Amino acid sequence: MNEPITLQEPKLLPGDLAIWFFIFMELLVFAIAFIAYAVTRAQNVALFNEFQLTLNKESGAVNTLLLITSSYFVVRAVHAIKLDRVKACITNLNIALGFGAGFLLLKSLEYYDKFSAGITLSTNTFYMFYLSLTMFHFLHVILGMIILFAIVIKAKRGHYSANNHYGVETGASYWHMVDLVWIILFPLVYIIR
Amino acid sequence: MIRDEKRVKKTIQNHINIHSIWLAMVALTILSYALGKFGFSGIVSVLVLLLTAVVKGTLIIRDFMELRDVSLLWRVIMYGWLWGATLAIFIIYLVSNK
Repeated sequence: MNEPITLQEPKLLPGDLAIWFFIFMELLVFAIAFIAYAVTRAQNVALFNEFQLTLNKESGAVNTLLLITSSYFVVRAVHAIKLDRVKACITNLNIALGFGAGFLLLKSLEYYDKFSAGITLSTNTFYMFYLSLTMFHFLHVILGMIILFAIVIKAKRGHYSANNHYGVETGASYWHMVDLVWIILFPLVYIIR
Repeated sequence: MIRDEKRVKKTIQNHINIHSIWLAMVALTILSYALGKFGFSGIVSVLVLLLTAVVKGTLIIRDFMELRDVSLLWRVIMYGWLWGATLAIFIIYLVSNK
């Protein structure tokens, strides 16, 4: 028997609606920061080009790969819980957290390298933007990992299943936003010249 | 229940795609890094970098966040942010490059 042709109802947003307002607010803040960076760079092209060369491009690129791969495992976790595979969901979230920790570690080493060279927020305009932008993102990575970790705990207690997985989608959406922001931040700060 | 079967089939289909999407994003990241490493600069390089970021952003929004079939409003919001931010960066770069 053929299914009745019905207008395709738009799919609901994954997870809780509230997280999407929070995500969009964060995206707006980052967009303003990106534009502020771009405008300030336009006024100090030589300075930005000169000191951009001191950044560790390899660290920036590897960090991008770590975040993308972490997001990939978070997607796998969401797929697993939708198929009622709780253990696979937990495993994928733990791997994602591992990649997230790798990002934080590599970023910390990058900062340690700069701080030990005597560079601070007040060294010059470029470093002020580089440090404040990437540190602001760093804090979001930490918050994202706290959210994912809380989901792992709840999943272990049996809170989530195929019929109850909004919490996993909510955390996943936030984590993907952290990745989405870095996708623009990396070329803007490390590469564009 | 038809609805559950549909969801399971959809999830499995998404799952099959996700690996190639991850690989594409890894490749695009290496491209961006290579542009920087080999010292490319100027408008064409920046355009390639920003378009790469838009492609990766689209994959994240569509396939990682799974917003493919959500309401038009939210798709406009998310893709609008992505295009808006990158376009603003490009226009400001053009102005500074004069």
